[in-house]
Amino acid sequence: MATKTIKVPKMLNGAPTGEVDTIQVEDYGVATWGPKTKHRLLNTHLPRVDAPNKTTGTAIYTHDVKVPGMLHGRLVTSIHAHARITSIDISAAQKIPGVKAVLPIVAAGGEVIYEGQAVAAVAATTPEIALDGARAIVVKYQVLPHVVTVDDALKPGAPTVGRGPGRGGNGQGNQQQVEAAVAACDAVVEAEYRTPILHHCCLETHAVVADFRGGPNATVYVSTQATFGIPGDAQRELGVPVTGVVTHMGGGFGSKGGGIGVVGQWACRLAKQLNTPVKMVNTRREEFLMTGNGPGSLHKFKAGANKNGTLVAISTIQYGMGGIGNGGIAAQPYSYVAQNVFRQSTSVNTHEDSSVPMRAPGHPQACFAMESLMDELAYKIGMDPVEFRKKNLPNNANGTAWHRQLDAGAKAIGWANRNATPGGGAGPLKRGMGCAIGSWGGGGRAQCVVDVKISQDGSVLVTSGSQDLGTGTRTYVRAIVAEELGLDMTAVVEKIGSTAYGNAGGSGGSTTTASLAPAVKDAAYNARIALAKLVAPLLGAASADEVWFDKGQAMGNGKSIPWKQACAAVPAAGLSARGQFVGALSGNGAHGASFAEVEVDTDTGHVRVTKMCHVQDGGLIMNRLTAESQINGGMIQSLGMALFEGRVMDPALGIMLNPAFNDYKLPGAMEMPELIPIIDDGDERNVVIGIAEPANIPGCGAVANAVFNACGVRVRETPITPDKILNGLIELRRAKA
Amino acid sequence: MNNFEWANASSIESAVKLLQPVDPQGDPDEMARPIGGGQDLLTSMKEYLVRPPRVVNLKTIAGLDQIKPDGKGGLRIGATVTITDLYENADVQAKFPGLAEAATSIASPQIRNVGTVGGNLCQRPRCWYFRLESVQCIKKGGPVCYAAGGQNKYNAIFNTGPSKIVHPSDLAPMLIALGATVTIFGTEGARTIPMDTFFTTPNQDVRKENILKDGEIVTEVQVPATTARSTYLKFKERESYDFALSAVAAVVEFALDKTVRNARLVLGGVASIPWHVPAAEKSLIGKTITEDNAAAAATLALANAKPLEFNAYKVPLTETLIRRALLKLNA
Repeated sequence: MATKTIKVPKMLNGAPTGEVDTIQVEDYGVATWGPKTKHRLLNTHLPRVDAPNKTTGTAIYTHDVKVPGMLHGRLVTSIHAHARITSIDISAAQKIPGVKAVLPIVAAGGEVIYEGQAVAAVAATTPEIALDGARAIVVKYQVLPHVVTVDDALKPGAPTVGRGPGRGGNGQGNQQQVEAAVAACDAVVEAEYRTPILHHCCLETHAVVADFRGGPNATVYVSTQATFGIPGDAQRELGVPVTGVVTHMGGGFGSKGGGIGVVGQWACRLAKQLNTPVKMVNTRREEFLMTGNGPGSLHKFKAGANKNGTLVAISTIQYGMGGIGNGGIAAQPYSYVAQNVFRQSTSVNTHEDSSVPMRAPGHPQACFAMESLMDELAYKIGMDPVEFRKKNLPNNANGTAWHRQLDAGAKAIGWANRNATPGGGAGPLKRGMGCAIGSWGGGGRAQCVVDVKISQDGSVLVTSGSQDLGTGTRTYVRAIVAEELGLDMTAVVEKIGSTAYGNAGGSGGSTTTASLAPAVKDAAYNARIALAKLVAPLLGAASADEVWFDKGQAMGNGKSIPWKQACAAVPAAGLSARGQFVGALSGNGAHGASFAEVEVDTDTGHVRVTKMCHVQDGGLIMNRLTAESQINGGMIQSLGMALFEGRVMDPALGIMLNPAFNDYKLPGAMEMPELIPIIDDGDERNVVIGIAEPANIPGCGAVANAVFNACGVRVRETPITPDKILNGLIELRRAKA
Repeated sequence: MNNFEWANASSIESAVKLLQPVDPQGDPDEMARPIGGGQDLLTSMKEYLVRPPRVVNLKTIAGLDQIKPDGKGGLRIGATVTITDLYENADVQAKFPGLAEAATSIASPQIRNVGTVGGNLCQRPRCWYFRLESVQCIKKGGPVCYAAGGQNKYNAIFNTGPSKIVHPSDLAPMLIALGATVTIFGTEGARTIPMDTFFTTPNQDVRKENILKDGEIVTEVQVPATTARSTYLKFKERESYDFALSAVAAVVEFALDKTVRNARLVLGGVASIPWHVPAAEKSLIGKTITEDNAAAAATLALANAKPLEFNAYKVPLTETLIRRALLKLNA
């Protein structure tokens, strides 16, 4: 049953005529999205339902949470990259009035293996006293040899990190054969590309309030990407059942996926010891040093292409720099196919905090390297970089999507007008364009339970434990229900972010919307059917099948009654309907293409991105406004990676030199180009696919390639800063002379 | 930050009194400090770079936040005039456009709204190593300048001693180029000195950046009348908010025949003090400003540069800024 006929009152000039009319409505007998083009709310531009609260400062974040009697926790962290703690003296700290507890984290004799590693924790009556307490703890270190750069770590005899070298590389393909094939090509590029460790830079640092008072249960508030990651971790520390709460979140980008984290663990332990609630918030410096990084990368390529535009062979040796973590980087040749591929990927450990997921883990790094390489090959064989890319795409649905997106992006940026000769033209200001493509999964999983409750007074409540990472979860949760029940957005209230509500998965891999939206749809559908059964007698309809809800009315059998009146049929306890994941409503496989136009001042090395566009598919878009925001955010984040961002380490001291926003430079308002977010409506898949991470993948490579097209300098290490451009221009002049 | 005592000064004299007593043997980073907008002082205190037992508020001193004519066509600028008030001042914009440009180039609108002229001149360097509490560098009484052999992309290309910091002020190079003077108040009363003698190199005292003795304050800056044209070109890595990688303050007085009668060129972001380049200035006198003359002056200005491992790019960058500033003034 795809469509059915509903008898409704015939209207004339807004008033019923007494006659009966019929309408055709879509109803499939199961939760179904229906045609992409026929949505009333979904796939349109919906303002965020929480925008007024967020913009006026009334939205509550974990940083804002205060509970009565709450103490404040503070960490002491290592100032060395690698050291043995010879002693910790907490006596002075304990004597400070207001300090309530001091807990050593690393015992004397233990080792610290990165700067910023937690060494001790303090709880006190105010944040200031907690800081005084932390500073009064005297930690003595015996400094041990460290390594904090990839080059140093790869040297024979480099200091060992943590439990061991952890460098097991895995190879694929025959290196000798592949490199022989490279050598036989018309054009060969041998190059190294590097990206530094990046940071998530959530404006809200990691934060926890552990509300435990010695009773039989506790509530723990965490700024986390996984509401349901809270209870397990917190119960382990507190020993009682825990309700986990996630209020509004000031960003995660992958850094807040790991349960309650270090501040959560120690806030809970302090609370447990004192039977008193404890709040703990990472400082910005701690956020840079100990909450996990987006790994750096080093890619060593040998690749060859023939004049006809075929990528023939590619040998890649790739290193992920994830500190004490694994630092996984996506496999090469990334989006492209080649006849001969050798690849080896190795994790290089350094004395730095662990890598954690960061918006498309391992992809922006691999994409920047591969897309720079593709560009170098295209210029070497004298082929349009877009055409060269098209020639080496897989011959499947992925390839089809990228063909379409490359065309759309080229049109939007004005590719046909790009600079013909890199560095050509008069005057110091050079304009150029570049492009790159990327891919991601973004599929849903069976993990969400959603409840819709309709009350006798007509109010509608939809609940899910899911957190809103900032992507607009609240808005589409409400929109799905409102659309299904024929109501306005304002007629539905959503409550999310608590383990008191239905189960939900963590936000990772851009899976939240693709997992949650189908369950919301299922719950809304079940609620509609249940309500239709109750309302049918009021309309004199023979069955629920004859009832429809639209424009705030229940209608059927030639009659129509307002929603609130119809809800009188609901029992006093309300009508509850539950929804689960529906696989058919969710899909997998996102593709994107970025284009950038830049202006390079060849006398100063300054790069200004003038225009950027990103084409992104995502099946059925829940909310075009927030989807476009995601795409804009992805472009901005990748612009930051391309031109500004990167952890700077001092190799000798083993410490991070720029753990502050003054020195870890994020792009600001003046750096913003004209941003053109394009939703790829050529994607015919009528399923929900996550787009949050893929929007951040190809932009960096596009900017890097635009810089080359503008000024002829190939900067192979991000961020592409003025010093690198000026040095590159000097080398170019030297080579020409 | 450490706990400290807050004292509102009612007059310049009371401010100086509140900054006493000064222990000549004591750590300069542990002396009482004057506060204007606090944009550098408070962040320095939060990082424990300075640990003053008392902070003396200058904003309660009546009249110190005024810009007044000096009666001879110049201006007297009080120490607590905010950066925003400075560049919004009609006289500043009309008579000293370079000073207005320098002011607008500073930090962010929020910081300019509270940061002061005196604070801008007396702010501490931005060197990564200096700003990290855990690094005991030579400027903090330690043995070594870590930037000299470390990550020195933003550090000095002119050698002025054992520390490789660059002076972070944008107003300072411009005020020196304009021939400004500065009034200092201490226990022995006031003295007014040329601005170009205010700043000191690490060779003179590695712990400090200017001649202020502990317990002294800057109360006023005087900018004399001029018929010269002025401009300030600052290069920032990030336009929205950044310190200078390099900057040039240029003041040029032209004769009727468009030849240069007088020129002043002072560089920012390249040395521990605003870097005056007299040889480049002299090379322009009596000449019209052409592409070639401007380029020659720029080359002369950078002739003695001694870049460190990672900052050689500052040489061509600064040459470009000088060239562009001169050609801009000529237009």
